[in-house]
Amino acid sequence: MKAPWFDYQAPRSLADALGILRDAGEEGRVLAGGQSLMPMLNMRVADPEVLVDINRLPDMDRIEEDDGTLRIGALVRHADLLNSAAVRERWPLLYEATTQVAHPAIRNRGTVCGSVSHNDPSAEHPSVLATLDGTVLIASADGQRELPAEEFSEGMLTTALEPGEMVVGLRYERPPARTGSAFVEFARRLGDFAIAGAAALLTMKDGVCERARLTIVGMGDGPVRVPEVEDLLTGKTLGNGAACDVFEEAAQIVKASVDAAEDVHVSSGYRRHLAGVMAKRALETALVRAGVAA
Amino acid sequence: MSDLRLTNEKAVGSSVLPDEARPLLDGEGRFLNDISFAGMYHVAFLRSQHAHALLREVDVSRAKDLPGVIRVLTGADLLGKVEPFRAMPNRFSGGESTQHWLAVEKVRFVGEAICAVVAEDRATAEDAIELIEVDYDPLPVISGPREGEKDTSPLVHDTCANNNLIKRKYVRGEIDEAFATAHLVVKRDFSIARKQALCLEGRGCVAAWREGGFQLSIWMSHQLPYVVRHYIAKHLGLPETDVRVIAPQTGGGFGQKASIYPEEFVCAHLARLLRRPVKWVEDRLENMVASTHAREQEIELEAAFDEDGRILGLRSEIWVDVGAYSTYLWSAGMEPLQTGGLMPGPYRVPALQYNTRGVATNKTPTGPYRAVGRPSASASLELLLNEAARKLDLDPAEIRRRNLILQDEMPFRNANNLIHEHVGYMPCLRMAMAEAGYEDLRAGQAAASGNGKLRGIGVACFAELTGLGTTTAVGPGTLLQPGRDAVTLRLETSGVLTIAAALPSQGQRIATAMRQVAADELGIALEDISCLTSDTGMAPYGFGTFASRTAVFGSGAVIQAASELRRRMIALAAFLLEEPEKELSIINSVIKNLDGSKMLTLSDMAERSFFSAKDIPQELNQGFEVTAFYDPKHGSFAAGAHIVVVDVDTETGAIEIVRYVAAEDVGRLINPAVVEGQIIGGIAQGVGEALLEELIYDDQGQPLTVTLADYIVPSALEVPNIELHHANTPSGALGGFKGCGEGSIIGALSGIACAVSDALARRGGDIHAFPATPERVLRGLGVDLGD
Amino acid sequence: MAWEQEIELKVNGRAYAKRVSVRTSLGDFLRDQLHLTGTHLGCEHGVCGACTVSVDGKSARSCLMLAVQADGTDIVTIEGLRDEDGEWSVMQKAFFENFAVQCGFCTPGMLSSAIELLKENPDPSEDEIREHLSGNICRCSGYQAIVEAVQAAAAAQRAEVQV
Repeated sequence: MKAPWFDYQAPRSLADALGILRDAGEEGRVLAGGQSLMPMLNMRVADPEVLVDINRLPDMDRIEEDDGTLRIGALVRHADLLNSAAVRERWPLLYEATTQVAHPAIRNRGTVCGSVSHNDPSAEHPSVLATLDGTVLIASADGQRELPAEEFSEGMLTTALEPGEMVVGLRYERPPARTGSAFVEFARRLGDFAIAGAAALLTMKDGVCERARLTIVGMGDGPVRVPEVEDLLTGKTLGNGAACDVFEEAAQIVKASVDAAEDVHVSSGYRRHLAGVMAKRALETALVRAGVAA
Repeated sequence: MSDLRLTNEKAVGSSVLPDEARPLLDGEGRFLNDISFAGMYHVAFLRSQHAHALLREVDVSRAKDLPGVIRVLTGADLLGKVEPFRAMPNRFSGGESTQHWLAVEKVRFVGEAICAVVAEDRATAEDAIELIEVDYDPLPVISGPREGEKDTSPLVHDTCANNNLIKRKYVRGEIDEAFATAHLVVKRDFSIARKQALCLEGRGCVAAWREGGFQLSIWMSHQLPYVVRHYIAKHLGLPETDVRVIAPQTGGGFGQKASIYPEEFVCAHLARLLRRPVKWVEDRLENMVASTHAREQEIELEAAFDEDGRILGLRSEIWVDVGAYSTYLWSAGMEPLQTGGLMPGPYRVPALQYNTRGVATNKTPTGPYRAVGRPSASASLELLLNEAARKLDLDPAEIRRRNLILQDEMPFRNANNLIHEHVGYMPCLRMAMAEAGYEDLRAGQAAASGNGKLRGIGVACFAELTGLGTTTAVGPGTLLQPGRDAVTLRLETSGVLTIAAALPSQGQRIATAMRQVAADELGIALEDISCLTSDTGMAPYGFGTFASRTAVFGSGAVIQAASELRRRMIALAAFLLEEPEKELSIINSVIKNLDGSKMLTLSDMAERSFFSAKDIPQELNQGFEVTAFYDPKHGSFAAGAHIVVVDVDTETGAIEIVRYVAAEDVGRLINPAVVEGQIIGGIAQGVGEALLEELIYDDQGQPLTVTLADYIVPSALEVPNIELHHANTPSGALGGFKGCGEGSIIGALSGIACAVSDALARRGGDIHAFPATPERVLRGLGVDLGD
Repeated sequence: MAWEQEIELKVNGRAYAKRVSVRTSLGDFLRDQLHLTGTHLGCEHGVCGACTVSVDGKSARSCLMLAVQADGTDIVTIEGLRDEDGEWSVMQKAFFENFAVQCGFCTPGMLSSAIELLKENPDPSEDEIREHLSGNICRCSGYQAIVEAVQAAAAAQRAEVQV
């Protein structure tokens, strides 16, 4: 299990990095935290000609909070989010999801942008980004562009990223006040990729849901927002024990709508069932955190 | 837990801190991969991508031309030069399998070695492997035992009809009458997945050749250095005296490193061929397919009971998927024969019948792994006892009480012809129940269930035959009766003691255990005793470490050798001190007379014995080196009772182990903290077997779980805190010791399985297939998963 | 295209300047070129945790970093855990005295993770210990002795701080 040969480049400026990526085209691969790419190299299931190590790029490790948005650079590690007071205090969904990413040593190296770029449907960050109406900041030698999370994800391990492009940052929108959030996932062991999970945001006023976000983790081809559930919940009274039936209905919608793949460990039916359970649990917790007794 | 710092007057029974762990804390363990020589080459293997295929052509020309590549070896290159493997003949064999070190003409499992590439470094060897072109002609694949034994099924080996590498029908007692007259007959099926040992360190070797004496030295991550030496010499056509096998610090064995595999033998051949040291280190992807697997059984078990719930007879049909080859040297009989034969466990079984097969399939061969065959034997019967108890309206603990073999019945010969003696099954059960507060647990079970949770309580009792002597075969049906091991005790010229034995440790602290026994037997201070355990160049003959035998054999041989060494020491001291022998004692490395007025240190005596021999009558100076063989003749039964409490999440199927109480009889304890580590470690692997670990293949024989992300073993969060209690009954072996390395995994699978089944039964559910994955749990509860 | 690069780094307090192949992992570099074989490779795909070392004060899988990426870093491996007087660190001592080592293959990574935990949290609960170590697989011990060792080390470290 030794990596194959590649041309290793460690540019010191973004312009250099983008130039190398442009020249490499399809054969270029960005190396950030390496926690997904390095195993693939060691197993020789990835064989890029050019490896562009972006760890020497300046200013990419910043977490910037500004007027209800959070912007993080390409070299922000999972552990950096956990160590950020701003994230811990004001971005509870992002924080809670990040605590469930792998294990400490992986969180120390792995980057949030890397996770989003890799777009494993079972990973936490693509779903968090979708739930927080996030945007992917993309750069290439030809310029910069932004894509909403939903448009960035194009399927299992594939994104809208073109050859020559790299993700340089992510931007999240803070939910309104009185929002409760929850990120729940189910894996065989803590830290494993989830079989299914859910991210939920509920904005409540006087027991009525003003705004809802629900994203299912581990399904189909990437993070799955469930607009039917979001529409169902919006405007509904969820206080005073009313939530129970509504959330059950939400779970049924999730089960009916998600594209649950079977894999070596679980059937499609089990994953679908679990998606419903995770959705319900995420909504229940989010509701409690919004200050409403379920 | 016992107090780890407890110090008895005697070394045996104290948790002596193990010196041999010290280098491991400094990164100085010198494992196989840490051993290097100047000019050493590195080896990698090209492995079959097909489960069953003819090899039309293997083109190595591009690989040979890669700079840095020294040699590429194919199966054809070895034909006629070395002798392929044929497993030990088994009395119950339905046919033989021949395994070439590198595949010739045909490959029979994904992972089978086809070529060996020798290069200047491992990465280059792997580059070269990608350049080898193999033209496969796929053959029909056998992917399961029931399908494999059909008359119409293709054969994995032309020499083996119905792919039955093993087939045995056993009947003893009036089995038909037992079932005809039974008050109750319960029939149940059970299956357990394929799994593997998952030693954190894979296999590997460094082989070095030189002309002249001791031509081949091989360092090998292995449990049986002397056995390896015998077979390397045989297969390479070398005098055994020219081969030295050293097992360095070994990163886990668990039986996986107790078999003989092709790769190390290829390396030995390459070292001779190239006259350069060569190293092969098995990486994880190789380890998942090239090192033996275990388990994968289907069992149909039927038991007849009288109206009191007493077992009248047991009948079983057993299918084991043993993989593509009969494992060298154990044969394919390990799991199929032991599961059948050991089904009765600690219970009185007057009549027994089993019909067991080991069926060849196109998967990795299976071999010995911790508690071969017993966990599934035990779990299938324990689950059946629970079902019988429900039908008879008995508590699960009560039906076990009624069937356990009692001490006042011992020696007791059971229907499997094994004699139970010196073992306390009931004391284990009583202690586990008392410590767990069993009555209260049962009383609180209903209240603890609800709100999406089901509480289950499992009780499991097991027997584990350890330290097998010459009268019991360790590989059933084979001639493998490794019942004699030797230890050499040598008082060095400075008065310190060396213990030498070929009993390598993979963390069991064998050296510390033998030092403790020797200290008590000889009166030599612990710090004056050291121990060599892993080098055929230095140790006397021994079979090695497996089958919960090493502490029993090592300690027994130490006791025997010490008796003679002590006699010689006292005789010489009596002469030197001019005191009668019977008035002398050895305490803390000093020989004293009764009132302590005369003293002689061992260092003084040893020096005089060696350097001033002319002053000593020859008959009193026979040398302080004694080798003794020990054979315990029979095995010693160890035992345990485990009580496990689980909560099952009825929405997700997740299982949480809420409490785990174990009471174990492992005989007289040598080092309690070490023993506890063995038992708890076994339980952890049992947690994996019961809940997590599963090697999955598709129907084309492709392995789907080849990384540690897919093959899931327990982390610190899945293994609960174990409440461990000792209910020890000394064995009949020297010192009263029993083995303790394997038994607890039996109780863990059975205890957890029973707890899960007990939980599901609260809602009319049950579970028959393990590991108890969340999905299997929900299906066991009848949850509609839409299919 | 450069197959090799010069790197400079500090390992266990000692400065090194070495030429490395760009595809060599940090783990292989430490073992093969610096001869620090105390770092063990158990899976080479980042799951088992045996190869965990400290890179600039943070634990990292040495199988998932390239040696070239370690240019300019300060690394601590198991060989560097003894204190200035050559005595075992609190964690090494606790592992020894609590029988937390069996085969010893997971030990280097386990020590690295455990030391990092106590740096962040001097008084962890049993659950916190188990969670922090959940990325380090041990196949021998069943973890209990390791958890006890970390608890003992935490207590010893707190006592030391008070003195």
